[in-house]
Amino acid sequence: MGSLFRSEEMRLCQVFLQKEAAYACVSELGELGQVQFKDLNENVNAFQRTFVTEIRRCEEMERKLRYTEKEILKEGMRIPDNLENPKAPAPKEMNDLEVEFEKVDTELRQVNTNNEALKQNHLELMELKEVLELTQTYFAAYGQDIQSMMDEEIQGHEEAIIGRQQTAALGFYVGTISREKVPVFERVLKFITHSTVFVRIEEIPRTFLDPVSGDELHKCMFLVFFQGEQLRTRVKKVCEGMRGTIYPVPDTQKERTEMLIGVKTRIADLETVLAQSNEHRMRVLGKAQKEIRSWTIKVEKIKAIYHTLNMFKVHQNSLIAECWFPVKAADDIRRALNVGEKQSGSTIPSVIQPMVTDEKPPTYYNCNKFVIGFQHIVSSYGIASYGEVNPAPYTVITFPFLFAVMFGDAGHGLIMFLFGLFMVLKEKSLGSKKMGNEIANTFFGGRYIIMMMGLFSIYTGLIYNDVFSRSLNIFGSQWKPVTLEKDLRINEDIQLDPKYDHINGTAYFFGIDPIWQGAKNKILVLNSLKMKMAIILGVIHMLFGVSLSVFNHIHFKNYIDIFVKFIPELLFLGCLFGYLVVLVFYKWIMFDAVSSKCAPSLLIHYINMFMLKYNTNECDPQAIFYKGQQGVQITMLLLAVLSIPVLLIVKPVVLIVTRNRRQAGMRDVYHSSDPLLSNEIMPAE
Amino acid sequence: MLPELTFNIDHGYLEGLLRGFKSGILKQADYLNLIQCETLDDLKLHLQSTDYGNFLANEPSPLTVSVIDDKLREKLVVEVEHMRIHALQPLAGFLDYIKYSYMIDNVILLITGTLHGRPIHELLPKCHPLGTFDQLAAINLANTSIMLYNAVLVDTPLAPYIKDCISAEDLDEMNVEIIRNTLYKSYLEDFYNFCKKLGGATADVMCEALAFDADRRSFIITINSFGTELSKEDRIKLYPRCGNLYPSGLKLLGECDDYDQVRAVAEYYPQYKELFDNSGSNPGDKTLEDKFFEYEVHLMKKAFMQQFQFGVFYAYVRLKEQEIRNIIWIAECVAQRHRAKIDSYIPIF
Repeated sequence: MGSLFRSEEMRLCQVFLQKEAAYACVSELGELGQVQFKDLNENVNAFQRTFVTEIRRCEEMERKLRYTEKEILKEGMRIPDNLENPKAPAPKEMNDLEVEFEKVDTELRQVNTNNEALKQNHLELMELKEVLELTQTYFAAYGQDIQSMMDEEIQGHEEAIIGRQQTAALGFYVGTISREKVPVFERVLKFITHSTVFVRIEEIPRTFLDPVSGDELHKCMFLVFFQGEQLRTRVKKVCEGMRGTIYPVPDTQKERTEMLIGVKTRIADLETVLAQSNEHRMRVLGKAQKEIRSWTIKVEKIKAIYHTLNMFKVHQNSLIAECWFPVKAADDIRRALNVGEKQSGSTIPSVIQPMVTDEKPPTYYNCNKFVIGFQHIVSSYGIASYGEVNPAPYTVITFPFLFAVMFGDAGHGLIMFLFGLFMVLKEKSLGSKKMGNEIANTFFGGRYIIMMMGLFSIYTGLIYNDVFSRSLNIFGSQWKPVTLEKDLRINEDIQLDPKYDHINGTAYFFGIDPIWQGAKNKILVLNSLKMKMAIILGVIHMLFGVSLSVFNHIHFKNYIDIFVKFIPELLFLGCLFGYLVVLVFYKWIMFDAVSSKCAPSLLIHYINMFMLKYNTNECDPQAIFYKGQQGVQITMLLLAVLSIPVLLIVKPVVLIVTRNRRQAGMRDVYHSSDPLLSNEIMPAE
Repeated sequence: MLPELTFNIDHGYLEGLLRGFKSGILKQADYLNLIQCETLDDLKLHLQSTDYGNFLANEPSPLTVSVIDDKLREKLVVEVEHMRIHALQPLAGFLDYIKYSYMIDNVILLITGTLHGRPIHELLPKCHPLGTFDQLAAINLANTSIMLYNAVLVDTPLAPYIKDCISAEDLDEMNVEIIRNTLYKSYLEDFYNFCKKLGGATADVMCEALAFDADRRSFIITINSFGTELSKEDRIKLYPRCGNLYPSGLKLLGECDDYDQVRAVAEYYPQYKELFDNSGSNPGDKTLEDKFFEYEVHLMKKAFMQQFQFGVFYAYVRLKEQEIRNIIWIAECVAQRHRAKIDSYIPIF
């Protein structure tokens, strides 16, 4: 059977690699992606393994790349993906990469430090400019004479300043502070000076950029008037503590205007310098931008190779690896190893030696891109152990089909199909774009499933005759009423008796007759039909699943399981639900419009089957409707009930008995032979 | 009504989250690996395989112990802040109480720093992020405890704690120590009463933990006071009155003059007797401080035995602090190539 039916045949091998060839060989094997290495150093610490320095170097490189990437993204530049998949560079090229990254990193950091200093300078000048402008307007509004202003302001706090010398030197501080610190700033100033300073806060309308993080900063300007040297130091300390910046604003208006002009020219100068520095930064980043994707892939590959090499055992001049691979891929692996040896120029060939083991091999399915989605759905329930039947190939049909049975609308199905088709056709371009959105990725991963589900929905939708919840009269309805025109004219509603009021020549060509669209009991009829179909399909589906287990029992030579598991399961399912399916078909075939009054109610019958209730009234939906029904049903029930203890009890008993017998046998064998002998290495083929 | 029935409505998510965090606490096996490290980079490599993950991935080599310390602390802070933001009362209040102890530490750190003439902007980054508050920045203005109260702490949660030790005296080292201990004493008593009021399993667990903390402080204050100018009357005022020692034990402690007398007091309390008996200052012996830490770890681990209570939050923070101390200890030993005492960390699980 194909590899999808059961796992690929797997083989455990020991590979002896020359130390100098190991890197290239693992790189080739990694590109092949068919080998699973076993960790032979599970008990060794992460930092005591052989290639830990190389991994550390890789991490260092990754760190630098991350920094560069962050800077590139911060500038709003995109990282191009040119779909290349560079091979892992040889170990000696690692040094070149390191040097290159180091260069980019230091250059970038240097530029950034300069830039930050310039930006900080710029920020301060801009703040000073804003502060000067605001103070100008402020003093213009309130007058130049600070002394008189102060007197007015503190009149309300007469008691607080009693004893204070009015002649003490009066001064003020102007500066900026973050907006969120303002309330605390005001409060602390008030507590610390007992409300003897005058604080004026003015919000600066424009926002500034943080020189380091690039975030927006909201600042407020403060003006603090105080008297005397003691208060001056206190105010200054508070400003320092709150990370406010004090700017030296002169007392007179003339000086302020001069200063403002000076500041403006300095800002203009600084902006040209900043522009140049930014340009330099963009050049550095632009160089890195083109390469960064392939650099990242390279470093990741190197790191992965060394991680793999760390799983190997070191033996003198060679590395010993143990790995699983599919037998089919053996030649590819041999070839990859040869390529690796050639690349590294090693003279001694590496050796692959099959090993005999009683370990259970890993399960591996060689899926193409169509099946892989279905395989993922199955795997989310559990991965079949090695040699077990894989249900995935069947889900390719059953999953979309059962979905469509429930979905059942050709119009919506068409939309779904087109969506799936779009993703399938655009596979390459969509796949290369790494979509960050998890949901979008799920849809993309299941594109073939969606397409199939759409396709099947069109099919079932046509059978249900449902297109956007409407019916289509494609082949012409076969239902012809025998009502006279005049009847219709007299009555608004007429009930048509299906026995004689219409002529049904043949059935509608495909699916449900569209005339049902106009009937009032459309929902009732379709629901009954769909429910019965659901039972029939469901039971068939389950029977199929149970039958698959026979292949497992035969494969693993568990013939006893056929009798204690498969047959009772089959009996249970068949006698209860299989019987119901038979009844459905019986009812469909045996009862027509004429006898529909006496048609049995299957639900009640099914319940009565368990209640062991039987009555024999004439033409009653609850009465038995075929000869020997009672006998058949009781037999079915009995068989189903009897299979339960078989399922539950027989297998454990068998297991206990065989185990006891084996233990008894082991005790005899133990003395005679060495149990380790069976685990010897087989000679190479 | 049984509080256990309704606990999960408000606090179930956070308790679940916390128990998840707790399972990330380093195990004995991790420590055995850590102490084999040759360099700090080895340490980083091993910590990467634990719950700490890539917390050091963006730090350039060579690593320093202080970087590791900052990052370890940052992780704890992020976790605690996350829980605080999602917490509802009374858990929110409980978590705030945990933060108050860090606030006290920060206040004291800044005062001592300014006493030694260090500028405030140099000191502020050294504060523990769990205990920062806006008014901290103005602390360098306070040169008496009245100023400290009026200007800085008056509208913070610490205000009620400092009320007991306001004086017009200038702040000096002795005063700062007294302020620290008084603050801590009032804080512990307040926290104790808060937990008692919460009742139920929280009270059971927390009162035991806080009582131990109070007793430890009393012992240590007594031992440290020998040979200083602290008078016995002042000393007795610093003892938190919510521990197992209160009231008779504290009275005896207040009269002690040397270490042996303290030890004699501990004799009356079986749990402390054991700690004093097994500690010593000879090489190879564990110090009393370590013994206290060990006992604390034991208590905190016990807190996780009960569900539907807040004690686990306190216990987690304490255990994590201990873990940080352990890692830093090992890191220091590795960095200074002083491996003789590398295994005197305190294992948690």
